Amino acid sequence: MIVLLIKNFIRSKGFLVGLAILFISGMIGLNIGKQFLDKNRDIIEKTAHFQKENIHRYVQYMDKEMGLLLYYVRFGLVNETPNIVGLSIGQRDINPSLHSVTIRNLEEQKYTTDLMNPMYQLIGNMDLSFVIIYFFPLIIISFGFNLVSEEKEEGTWSLVLSQTSNPQKMLRLKVGIRYISILFILFLLLIIAKFYLSIPFDIYLITYILTAFLYVSFWFSLVWLVISFHKSSSQNALILLTSWITLTIIVPALMNALVIQLYPIPEAFSTVLESRDGYHTQWDKAKEPTIEKFHQLYPQLAHFQHPKNKDFSWLWYYAMQQMGDETAIESSKILKEKIRKRENLSKTLALLIPTIHTQLTMNAVCSSDMANYLKFVEALEEFHKQKRMFFYPKIFSDTPVSSENWDNFNLEYFKNQPFINLYMVLLPYIITTILCLLWANINFGRKKYTL
Amino acid sequence: MKIQVVRIIAKQVRKNTIKNRSTRWLIGIFNVLLFFALISGFYSYSHQHQTVEHYSHEVREKWEKNPDKHPHRMAHYGYVVFRQKHPLSFFDFGMDSYVGNAVFLEAHKQNTVNFSQASLSNGLLRFGEISVGMLLQLLLPLLIFFWGFGLITEERQHGTLRILLTQDVSWQELIIGKSVGLFCLSLMVYLPCFILAFILLLLDTSIYNHIEVITRFLILVISYLSYFFILSLLAVYVSSQSKSSKASLISLIGFWLFFALILPKVSQVAGKNLFVSPSKIEFDTVVEQELIKQGDSHDPNDPHFKKIKDSLLKAYHVDSTHKLPFNYGGYIMREGERLSAETYQKHQIKLIEVYKKQQNLIKLTAPLNPLIAIKNISMSLSGTDYVAYHDFQNQVETYRYHLAQTMNELQMKYISNKVKNSADKGARISKKHWEEFPDFKAQFLPLSVVISHEIVSFLSLISWILVFWILVKYSGKHLKAF
Repeated sequence: MIVLLIKNFIRSKGFLVGLAILFISGMIGLNIGKQFLDKNRDIIEKTAHFQKENIHRYVQYMDKEMGLLLYYVRFGLVNETPNIVGLSIGQRDINPSLHSVTIRNLEEQKYTTDLMNPMYQLIGNMDLSFVIIYFFPLIIISFGFNLVSEEKEEGTWSLVLSQTSNPQKMLRLKVGIRYISILFILFLLLIIAKFYLSIPFDIYLITYILTAFLYVSFWFSLVWLVISFHKSSSQNALILLTSWITLTIIVPALMNALVIQLYPIPEAFSTVLESRDGYHTQWDKAKEPTIEKFHQLYPQLAHFQHPKNKDFSWLWYYAMQQMGDETAIESSKILKEKIRKRENLSKTLALLIPTIHTQLTMNAVCSSDMANYLKFVEALEEFHKQKRMFFYPKIFSDTPVSSENWDNFNLEYFKNQPFINLYMVLLPYIITTILCLLWANINFGRKKYTL
Repeated sequence: MKIQVVRIIAKQVRKNTIKNRSTRWLIGIFNVLLFFALISGFYSYSHQHQTVEHYSHEVREKWEKNPDKHPHRMAHYGYVVFRQKHPLSFFDFGMDSYVGNAVFLEAHKQNTVNFSQASLSNGLLRFGEISVGMLLQLLLPLLIFFWGFGLITEERQHGTLRILLTQDVSWQELIIGKSVGLFCLSLMVYLPCFILAFILLLLDTSIYNHIEVITRFLILVISYLSYFFILSLLAVYVSSQSKSSKASLISLIGFWLFFALILPKVSQVAGKNLFVSPSKIEFDTVVEQELIKQGDSHDPNDPHFKKIKDSLLKAYHVDSTHKLPFNYGGYIMREGERLSAETYQKHQIKLIEVYKKQQNLIKLTAPLNPLIAIKNISMSLSGTDYVAYHDFQNQVETYRYHLAQTMNELQMKYISNKVKNSADKGARISKKHWEEFPDFKAQFLPLSVVISHEIVSFLSLISWILVFWILVKYSGKHLKAF
């Protein structure tokens, strides 16, 4: 029987078209990922080059004062983009993967965005994750929605019943063939991806593959559940499509609205104002309190003093700049905290919704989620602090510009190794899939196979 | 065509469909969703409006409270502008969540507009946002298709089609009647929401120009109504062309997937490949390199600015810049600001052109895709499209330039050439000048401009109706009653 069923499956044009659609869109998705990686690499290479050029030029121009030079010179920190990002671009097209900063006020620099076409951000990237999350279920639905109902509607069901003692076995075989064919395309795409994007075979890729596999399995179990009710083809199609829309559009959008309403972030605005005022108003104030505060922050620099009766010194200038960051420190912290809360709440709610869970897991695995960006920003803060600590003593002691080997200042890289809790990743799928299958089993057991 | 017959058929469709319990459930669920979207959209609009008002007020207050100081210090103190949403933005969020909300304006430098909602959210946002616009554009078509796919095929399968046609009902009357019935049915889904939206607009005290906003809203409503009428026609027409209900349903779902998912994605991929846009670092570097070539206004020995100096000295018959009747530093800075702003603007225009080309590839699919047509119309009338955002960016840059140049002119006028630096007593001018400098007030694009940008989309909706009209009129010959 199995041979006949496979023949039947292969001979129907619809199925091959469905598989071809998945394969082609998957390949387009991989190509989009590849382009993203290439462009990103290109930007980093160019930046590395520009940074060298930039430092070189300023060192020539401003060779007298270290303080003036460091007003201009920028240092870049790169959020390393592992090749696996090509599978799930996530938030990487919104949050920059590179920040180039001077040692001045960081608050005024760290929220800088890249240039992006907002229309494209709105439409989103059709990467492999998108294809898996949106297109695979649609094809799975179209493969399975009329497994029983079609035979009933076309009058062949009586033949099936008369020729087999166990019609459920035949159904299982039919679904099995479809399941394996879809998995074949999925694994084919993943194998191509591994080599095409040169992704290392590590825990992240394995988690990605497992997630994709379980997600596809979940949809098959849902289809199995729906056909177990023995409704008509149109009703099955209606129920399955409604589930697809609910899971891929309505519930995520509702959840997003909820998360945003629960944690509004007015701090985004207040940090800007606070850091600006924190720095700029210092110009109108007495210098001593500013410098005193600066000394409290950096006791190791306390021996540098502002020269009496002078209108200006670099110590005072950078102390003022530092005040910009210090004033906004509280708002900035709350801002990060709230983004983290948004992230955590959506991750928790996502455990119930396979679509969202898949997207967020894939983003996390591919280092393209918000958590990754937050860590990058923290690394940027640390990077900025180190640069300050390195240059402050040199500026204040008026070390000559030429004494520094400026060739040493290359781009620096932040590498994030996200922690993956496999139980939390896999359990939600396993539970929902088992529930669907059990329910379906009850339905199949209850209904006698009648005409 | 007999109007009476059309009316009877339409009424029949409405009555028959509504009899079904699941139809009533669907209408109920959609009404709840739309009300939720409307109210939460309006709430977040008002919230955002208040927040922006609050912080803009704070910016102004702090600006005016600045003590007497050197005007160039004020130019660096600068201004912070927060983007105000359009009063209709609660209806369709469009790109609002992907464009920035706060920008720091200072001399010499064009900062990015930061803190888009997307930059503060995680991947959840990318599934899309729930707004009235999204529900109407994306989900309501499916509802109309579900109600409409069997309207003719079922009559054919039950054999009632033959009876109808023998009773002097023409194909044209049948299709139009069924479409009108379907359309009237769909009204029950969104009419309550439109009415509530209208009431909210009337009550909204944040609107300065009610007439303009309400005109926009009415055009929006009319566009949506024609969109739904097109979809009703499409559903019934496909049903009349299909052999079975199943085939009809599959074609309609195919249409939906193609319009909603595939076409926009494909045109995006094509646009990205055809028109490459630069990254920020490339953009900044190109601008910077061009500026370096032009000269550095902070460097007294720069050749470009030295030339200016020499010609100034000559024109005023003096031998030193100290003797000029205005502040020389201010003059040079004004020149530098002009040059850098022009250069930036030149490249910015190029960049916007690339974006527009990329977007046009999607926009120009509107004649093929009624969903994109209504989406464009809806976004632009709600003030959440790229044109609106770009206009905001322009206003911001104009204001920034005006601010920097006003401060430079104040410096030229009031600061003596003998002043050593900005800390000098003589380098301070009265704070009354800060109060005199106007606050930033964003203007929304006038309706005529908004419409002119979306002519293609409007024409697309009109021509879809015309095309169906012709199809329906001449289709009778090919259609089969059984």
